[in-house]
Order: sequence, then C-alpha cells, then structure tokens
Amino acid sequence: MAYQLYRNTTLGNSLQESLDELIQTQQITPQLALQVLLQFDKAINTALANRVRNRVNFRGSLNTYRFCDNVWTFVLNDVEFREVTDLVKVDKVKIVACDGKSKPHGNIKESTIIQC
Amino acid sequence: MASSANSNPVPKLYKSVIEDVITEVRELFLDEGVDEQVLLELKTLWENKLLQSKAVEGFHTEEQAALQAQQQQQQVQHVHPNPQVTTAQAQPVILPTQQQQAAQQQVIVQDSKLLQHMSATGISAAATAATLALPTGVTPYQQLITSQGQILQVVRAANGTQYIIQQPQQPILLQQQMQPGGVQAPVIQQVLAPIQGGLPQQTGVIIQPQQIVLASGNKVQGNAQVMQAAAMAPQPGQPTTAAQVQSVQQVQGAAAPQVASSQPQTQTQQPPMMLQVDGAGDTSSEEDEDEEEEYDEDEEEEKDKDGAEDGQVEEEPLNSEDDVSDEEDQELFDTENVVVCQYDKIHRSKNKWKFHLKDGIMNLNGRDYVFSKAIGDAEW
Repeated sequence: MAYQLYRNTTLGNSLQESLDELIQTQQITPQLALQVLLQFDKAINTALANRVRNRVNFRGSLNTYRFCDNVWTFVLNDVEFREVTDLVKVDKVKIVACDGKSKPHGNIKESTIIQC
Repeated sequence: MASSANSNPVPKLYKSVIEDVITEVRELFLDEGVDEQVLLELKTLWENKLLQSKAVEGFHTEEQAALQAQQQQQQVQHVHPNPQVTTAQAQPVILPTQQQQAAQQQVIVQDSKLLQHMSATGISAAATAATLALPTGVTPYQQLITSQGQILQVVRAANGTQYIIQQPQQPILLQQQMQPGGVQAPVIQQVLAPIQGGLPQQTGVIIQPQQIVLASGNKVQGNAQVMQAAAMAPQPGQPTTAAQVQSVQQVQGAAAPQVASSQPQTQTQQPPMMLQVDGAGDTSSEEDEDEEEEYDEDEEEEKDKDGAEDGQVEEEPLNSEDDVSDEEDQELFDTENVVVCQYDKIHRSKNKWKFHLKDGIMNLNGRDYVFSKAIGDAEW
C-alpha cells in the first residue's frame, strides 16, 4: 500500500473532487471511489519515483517543526527554491514529509499515515 | 522552474498518471457494473479541473486545443446567427470582467433541473461554483454573454446534462422553445425534460424564481424569467431558433416596459431583488451596520452580567488576547504554498536544520512543480 500523502495536491484534489461529483449523482459508489484513490496513490508514488529526475535546492528560515507519527511537518519563511533553470521565492511554505525509507504496513490504519 | 529551454516535466507526468489510473480502474469499474461512459466522464472532470486550476502549464495537448476551437466555432455559428448577440470569439476579452461581475452578482439557482448548453470559453469552475453557490454536483462549465450584457453560466451537472444559469441584472425575455415544434408553455418552477440526455447540444430553458416573463409571439406574461439558448443540434429547431432569436430581440424591446407592469405570481419581492445565497453579513448599507452594532452591544451587556455571577465567563475574552497569532495575515493569501514529499534524512545541529527530501510535489505561488530530490537549509 502506498502513501496517501499525495492526495492533497492539485492532481489529487482534482481527482477527489471529480469522484465526489460522481458520487453525488450516484454514478459511482463511495467504495469504488476509494478504490480509485488507492490506485491513484500507487500510480503517483510510482511515477514520482521512476519518471521524475530533477533536483531542487532551497534555503529559508524555519518557523515551526513537528514530528508526529513519523511525519515531519515544517513551516518555513522567506524561502528560495532553486532549480538549475530558475528560482522561485515564497514568503511561507509548508512542507509535509513522510518517511522515505519505510513504506506503510498493511495493518496500520490509513488515517495515521497522512498529515498530522 | 519551467523554462522555455527545458520542457516542463509536470504536464507529461500528470498526463501519464491520469492515463495510468484510468487504465487501472477500468477493470474496477467494469466489475462494479459501472458504464465506461462514467469512467470517461471521470477522466474529463479530472482533466478539466486541472486545467482550470492553472497550476500546470501547457496541460492541454494541441489536439484537444484544436478540438475545442472547432467546437466553439461550430456552436457559435449555430447559436448566434444574429450579429447582435455577442459571439464566443469575443469572449476571451470579456472574461476577466465576467469574473469580477460574477463575483459580485447574486444568482438564484433553482433545484429544478436547468437545461441548456452553450459553448463558450469558461472561467474557473471552482471560482464560479463558489460564487454562484451552485447545488452540489453541478459545476460551471462555460460562460456566455448575451447582447444585453447578461452573463450566462453554462453549468454542467454530473449526470452529463447541461444547464444555463442566468445572472439577472435586467429581466431578459426570450422565446421559450419547448420542442422543435415550438409550443409555448408557461413554466413557473418546473423542470423541462432534456430533449436528448447527455448530449452537449440541446435546447433548453433556464428558470428563475423572481420574475418569470414568457415571450411568445410578443406576448408577455409575468411569472418567471426564462432564458433560452438557441438550439445547436442539427434539428428542425435550428431554423426556428434563428427566427426566434431575432424575434426575441424585438420582443425584448417591447417587453421591457411591460415587465414592470407584469403581475408577479410567485415573487414577493420587488424586481430585481435577488435572493442572496452567499450568506448574511453585508456591509453595504448603514442600516445593516447599525443593526450589527446594536446586536454586539447587547451581547456584551449580557456577558458582563454573566461575568458578575461566574468569573470564568469574563476571563475567557480576556485570556484570548494573550495568544500571539499570525493567522490573520496568512489567511489573506490564496495559495498556501505546500510541498508534499518524503524525507531521506532530517538533520539538526543547534538551530541549523538540514533537509534531505525526495519524490515531492510542490505548489508554489499557484504553480505545480515536482522533484526527485530536494536539499534544503534553514535556521530556526
């Protein structure tokens, strides 16, 4: 089972919204929607691991940090994200990071794996 | 991070993920006995939302863009034979204004089904949905401006049928076309059955509860406002539509003075008062402000009285000032810049933190980025 971490992204949220619409009109069951999301988790995890090959550097000041259920949550201020090509500056950014080394076990409830 | 020199990897990545997911769940859908149509609709909804979020550059393939342009032109020809009506081609210019207008207008949407499909370029569906407070399951699809400067929202319900919502500023009269036969029927708050289910090109009617004005052969009945978009499908209705659109223009001129004198059957408010669906708390009039102030004062008096008896109630408002919160400033921002990723190593030395991250998706300043590795430094 893959991390559900990426559901709160543009891609993930648009999928969830679309599924919700279909549920509202009863074109699909909530159960089926859940299956789709699980499939999405697998697909996005695989795609990120295999199809993306770029590096980013960033620097800023750390406002808050939290480590809960093996999930790190940081809030940084005045951050510069640098890629080879260009630069992006933001005043505030929230970073949510799950453990990259261990994958979630099947018997752990899904709810503990997402953001704290 | 997307430059013209290197191609942006994000659209391709997203597309591949969408394809993968749709392919994988096709089996699941079939097992559940769900039609392939629904699966395609899921894909369309998903892609549209991504488009509308503008978080991804160049998401649309050239093919799809060409298709869209074609559709727009076709429908423009069918729908607006009359040069008086603003065509879809002029819309890209009007859109930014539409967006502002849409945010300020109040619209009443009946729960009754709305039928209609007009083709046009659209604005953000999410913004429009929020603005219009659409019923669940209905998403704005496109916008259209009529010759009167009215803004029509094409709304797409999840079941595939499409509706038009009129944004009322002035009463607009159009002939009502029930079927290609063109039989008139007074509609107060009724649902008109779609001619063909789910097809993008249909005739239809919008119904709104305030003023209902039916124009039929230059007659005006005051009951409800009915908007009609012309028929687009290759049906016998098409020539009728063209004639109707033209006669509508004439009717509008004649009917406008009649609107004021029309007898309202369902409305209890003065036209063009609208039912506000975006909640109370307006600050537009002095009366409202005074009322709110009075209300607050009454609350405070009650609180003081209670405080005398029970010390805790008084303390709560006092203690709440102790919090140091930056939240108010931050809420003003539309985009919360978020990075979702996995961590390889997080290191700290005194107050110097080092981050080694991987496989991340970032949304910065409204745009999406991805990385396979990210290294960062920060001081706490």
